[in-house]
Amino acid sequence: MIGNDIVDLELAAVQSNWQRKGWLQKIFTESEQNRIWKAENPNQMVWKLWSMKEAVYKAHQRRFSLSPKYNPRDFICADTLVGIDTYWYQTVSKQTKKYVYTIAYTDDTNFISKVFTDKSLEYKKTLQYYIADILDVNLSAVSIKKDDNGIPGVKIHNKFTDIPLSLSSHGSFSAFTINL
Amino acid sequence: MTKEELLSKLKTIIEPYVQNQEEFQHLSEDTNFIDDLEINSANLVDVILDVEDEFGIEIDNDGMDKMLTVKASIQVIQDKLVAK
Repeated sequence: MIGNDIVDLELAAVQSNWQRKGWLQKIFTESEQNRIWKAENPNQMVWKLWSMKEAVYKAHQRRFSLSPKYNPRDFICADTLVGIDTYWYQTVSKQTKKYVYTIAYTDDTNFISKVFTDKSLEYKKTLQYYIADILDVNLSAVSIKKDDNGIPGVKIHNKFTDIPLSLSSHGSFSAFTINL
Repeated sequence: MTKEELLSKLKTIIEPYVQNQEEFQHLSEDTNFIDDLEINSANLVDVILDVEDEFGIEIDNDGMDKMLTVKASIQVIQDKLVAK
């Protein structure tokens, strides 16, 4: 199972003041807060840990078809692993000056992921081309839709498949991760 | 506090974080903060902190879990006000 999350650092700086009283405590465990304050760049660490939690939330929600919940503090970051209840997920993060991007996965499967640096829906088009090519179906047969829990899925000829897919966009960035 | 007063206070709190103004104009109990109002998920923490300040209550993890819709938020706030 997979999940992803991207944070536009410039937009995050405008939208969120993580130094606000009580903010970190609502989202991060004490050990995570320590990790933030010990980091060379606490701001990057806040958004890295946040994207890890969000990416794992998406993977976990999809894996068990869970209804939406706002529980970031329940996702425990330990190094690159993230735990929720008794389940653990591996994550890999990419950090640049402009964004932080995390992919979460349960096993080292054959997923691909791509980050787009424009605000258009280009990433959805690229994704559709890619799916049509790999599955050898017509481009027009492929669509991306959300299910009742708000989880995105791949439809072929208007029928949901079980292809794991995760989408994320924030500010100037969009990304997909898919396992075909 | 009546439910109407509570709703009006909640609307004032969430307004600065709303990214879909059209949905905000048609706000109902079923309105979802993230899916409908397009509030950034990291800003939900700010909504929760603002709610705590405005109503003088503390929202624990169980309350926070549910605060994704107008209806659920009103319920959480009312429960905390009663317990105060």
